Amino acid sequence: MKDLKIKKVIVEKGVSGQEFAQQILRRLPDIPVQTIKENESKAVHDIQNMGKEILHLLPYKGEFLKPCPGTREYICCGYQILNVATNCPLDCSYCILQSYFNQPYLKTFVNLEQGVEQVLKIIDSNPDLVFRIGTGEFTDSLAIDPITRWSDWLLPLFSKRKNAVLELKTKTDNIRGLLTSKFRDRIIVSWSLNSPFIAVREEHRAASLKKRLEAARQCQSEGFVVGFHFDPLIPHPKWKEEYTKTLELLDKYIDPKGIIWISLGSLRFMPGLKPIIRRRHPDTCVLDGEFIMGLDGKMRYFKPIRMELYSYMRKNLEKWHPDPGLYLCMESHDVWQKSMGWSPETSNGLKRYLDRRVVEIFG
Amino acid sequence: MDTQKFATADLHLIDTDRINDSPGPYGMSFGFELKPLVRSIKTVGLLNVPVLIEDGEGAKTVISGYRRIQAVKSLKWDNMPCRVLQKSEFSPLECLLLNLHENLATRNLNNVEKGMVLSHLNSYLPLNEIMKDYMPLLDLPSNEEKFDLFLKIEKELDENIKIYLARGHISLQGVRMLLDMDPASRLSVFGLISNLKFNINQQIQLINYLIDISHITKASVIELLKDQPLENIRLNDNLNTPQKAKAVLRLLRTRRFPSLTEAEKTFNKMVSKLDLPERVRIDPPLFFESPDYRLEILFKEGKELREKIGRLFKMDGIEEIGNPWERGA
Repeated sequence: MKDLKIKKVIVEKGVSGQEFAQQILRRLPDIPVQTIKENESKAVHDIQNMGKEILHLLPYKGEFLKPCPGTREYICCGYQILNVATNCPLDCSYCILQSYFNQPYLKTFVNLEQGVEQVLKIIDSNPDLVFRIGTGEFTDSLAIDPITRWSDWLLPLFSKRKNAVLELKTKTDNIRGLLTSKFRDRIIVSWSLNSPFIAVREEHRAASLKKRLEAARQCQSEGFVVGFHFDPLIPHPKWKEEYTKTLELLDKYIDPKGIIWISLGSLRFMPGLKPIIRRRHPDTCVLDGEFIMGLDGKMRYFKPIRMELYSYMRKNLEKWHPDPGLYLCMESHDVWQKSMGWSPETSNGLKRYLDRRVVEIFG
Repeated sequence: MDTQKFATADLHLIDTDRINDSPGPYGMSFGFELKPLVRSIKTVGLLNVPVLIEDGEGAKTVISGYRRIQAVKSLKWDNMPCRVLQKSEFSPLECLLLNLHENLATRNLNNVEKGMVLSHLNSYLPLNEIMKDYMPLLDLPSNEEKFDLFLKIEKELDENIKIYLARGHISLQGVRMLLDMDPASRLSVFGLISNLKFNINQQIQLINYLIDISHITKASVIELLKDQPLENIRLNDNLNTPQKAKAVLRLLRTRRFPSLTEAEKTFNKMVSKLDLPERVRIDPPLFFESPDYRLEILFKEGKELREKIGRLFKMDGIEEIGNPWERGA
């Protein structure tokens, strides 16, 4: 990841005494700190920067564990989100978090200890369920890990659970915290990948594909289970050649046998995001595709375009390894059937498929 | 603010030619229709007097009643009663608030007028105060983005587009999209909108298509508007104005969504090859997104229904109906 620069820390009154907040402040000794009252943080109008260089430490008042916001019109994987933070220092032009520019700053929840305690209770009281939990939905799981050291906290807790896995999803190479931990079991480190064209043009401040895959190789060789997410797939000039380059890099760096899953998803977004992307990223190509209104009210590519993307990726990934754990994110039964050759039919079916992958890999 | 001071200001008979003709620094009237007011004053006289402010040298600036003054001038009155304040006693902000509250009490401001108000307030008050106290008064959400939009409407929007906006012929969303364009493109697009009288939904579609196609093809919006096929539609005497507007949108849609429009064309061809009974139609799902196609049979009685189902049952080629990209034409 390109240098993470925090220029200021905003601390909500009452949380600076919390151990987690103190640790973070100790790691940022020369950064100015502003203490504010609860809810005093104002919406900033800096639509361009979105306060990405300001760390906001606050308590989270909602449920720490939430189901992924899937919709019933498409098949959802049943992933659960551990809400450790919102917003992200990376600046991908297609990112959904841009819709929340009126709630700026890198918001980090410092009552994580109490929150995770509740989550673990839920996990432990449902031993027959498999919990696939991740922190990478509303933020990048590792982008600010050098400051927050979530990895120090979370890895030991999840490594002990036999009915849960923790997936840390990233576009960075910030793996030092992971590698210094002695815990590996039930932890999945996964990388979002794209074509080199998209990675360079649209994934601003993210690590290069090569660096992401070098980090993945290092994690794999150090005993971590890894995963990959080709999401969002974006058709662009020469997209087949470009995605093939990424697949070649994947082959160069990664042993396919150690991969738990690879997801495929195509770009989708709420209609309101389009003008924000246009204003924040005037030179972007991510809006160039043929988007139609999906059954869930989100914009997505016209169906045959999605099917061509998935079929191409599937064909090439299965050439690499016959069972790489491929699945589609938020797609319909007919798209599954026609581009993957099978369908889990329902969200429960996909959940069962992915839970089985967990059991096969981790036992 | 000393509200008594306004009420006790002196009433004078002022020569109309001594009243400044411009709306002045407190004006917030735009796009109004003068005729009803002229008729009212002509019939029953001037019921509420305007308020002016006089500088030390005798010049009189309008605080409130700009439209009444215009109406009286159009009736060619030599003079009119006005309440006159002295500049030394009233701050510009007090004058502005007087006019604002008088207007808010009697009418709804249009979006151009709201821009004028915010722009005036911006000269005297900090932004947070305007957002907190005045945007809600104007029925606007208190956020900076909206504030900026209305300021741009006042400062950057061309007069003709302002008139369109004030009359409700273009939406705020449409204006926002036009404001994101460079001035020359904005004027060209607006020219097309006003010439072909696109309705509000069509305007949004048009602007969206043009912006998207311009990004995809790297051609400027102005170049796109000069394209020959589009020019041909504009010059086609066989089409009336609404037909031209629809044809322009169809043309741009085909350019913006080549695969989708091709699929629609192929599907329509597929269906037209079938000899469907009258009042029977087969429709694809919206954007072909849902897997379910739709058959509609209109009938008057069961006998007709049986006959139509029978014909459909025996119809050659009906099993070919489906996703056009999988079956071809």
